[in-house]
Amino acid sequence: MRNRPDAVELIETAEKTLTGDVAPDLSPRKRYSVALIAAALGIAKRELRGGPTAWPGEMGALRELYGTADGPADHAAALSTLNRRFAADLRAGLYDEPGRGRKLAMTLLGNDVVARLTEDNPRYEK
Amino acid sequence: MPLGPFIRDAAGADSVSVDAGEVLTGGAIQENRALKVKVHGGPFEGTHELVLRAEAAATIPESRPLEQQFRLLKAAHADGVNVPEPLWYCGNRSIAGKPFYLMRRIAGEALGVRVTRMGPLPEIAATLGGELARIHAIAPPDERLSFLEPVATSPALDAVARYRGYLDAEPEPHPALEWTLRWLELNAPPAGEIVLCHRDFRTGNYMVDPESGNRLTGILDWEFAGWGDPHEDLAWFCARCWRFSSPRLEAGGIADRRVFIEAYERASGRRMDPAQIAYWEAMAHVRWAVIALQQAMRHRSGAEPSLELALIGRRIAELEYECLRLTGVL
Repeated sequence: MRNRPDAVELIETAEKTLTGDVAPDLSPRKRYSVALIAAALGIAKRELRGGPTAWPGEMGALRELYGTADGPADHAAALSTLNRRFAADLRAGLYDEPGRGRKLAMTLLGNDVVARLTEDNPRYEK
Repeated sequence: MPLGPFIRDAAGADSVSVDAGEVLTGGAIQENRALKVKVHGGPFEGTHELVLRAEAAATIPESRPLEQQFRLLKAAHADGVNVPEPLWYCGNRSIAGKPFYLMRRIAGEALGVRVTRMGPLPEIAATLGGELARIHAIAPPDERLSFLEPVATSPALDAVARYRGYLDAEPEPHPALEWTLRWLELNAPPAGEIVLCHRDFRTGNYMVDPESGNRLTGILDWEFAGWGDPHEDLAWFCARCWRFSSPRLEAGGIADRRVFIEAYERASGRRMDPAQIAYWEAMAHVRWAVIALQQAMRHRSGAEPSLELALIGRRIAELEYECLRLTGVL
């Protein structure tokens, strides 16, 4: 078991110190750098809060499209292999026609993108 | 040879003194530095505020070599487009360590976040519509621009092939972009009129001078220009990803899109097809996404470690979101 504060709590505190305590005394150019650092910390924090994928259903949806038979046992490697196949199939037109596969594919694309957007830019006006 | 003698020779002057000023922001790819140059003798006698634009350490495939950018700027300037006057190109690396060109410095603000916070700027949007029409009046064949690649199949299908090529060079797969490119392939408009497209005509790449009543002082960044479909530039200007602080003002975050498009139509005599503009808006988001992947790779590869470039890699999701919205998935 790790000690507290945990990674997310540490990042949160670092973020607050940076923007609240450090930034006000800096030149505009340095403040721009601080804003970039704060943005990076924010994304890292939200990514850590989530799991290995932004949308928890990603692996399930890919397995539903492609089955569970082959592919590497390691989660990250399996995810990468399945996404590579999904991307190639989209390009080849395998999801052009309406049907169950197309519906699943669109659900996967939509949920994944919205989940990543929420991590990367939660203030984005949809 | 240092910069002074280069300018002296290029300007046909007796002597020249150069004060190097600040590095100018804007342009994640190129480097721009302000210079104050005093010229004695010859046709350029006097003091000049100039900008030295040099090639950055790492570029991306879409970027044209600096000499071509200079020739594009020259052609645009000669044909009456409002651009900073290009002066001299230098390919000799012994002077600045890399190729560069000099142009006149123009006054004003270019940063998208600041321009879109000046409030709605419909007059600027209308002026820009007119400027774009002037750019699109340049069409092939044009001897000055003989280095521009001809359109192969159609501007749309050429773009789909090019962006697929870029995706193939990325280490990770990008299903949402693949989906959008497939959609763009299936829905591609036939080749129409071919004109000179600026290909980065957007808020952030023109200067507005608040000191002179928010006047347009010039259009910048010609590094992506090429032959293409006029709808592409209009869509790029209106695309959601270039509206900065004012996402509801569809023309570059500064005006209603009708103001911009109607001004363009009046000046060019063309009628633009809203469906084709929507098509090219989806293309715009794919294009910015693949460029963003390449920008992030400049950081990831170690060629140019930079937090700014790293964070561009995390802008992809918002571009993919717009892709899915424009292709009816969301």
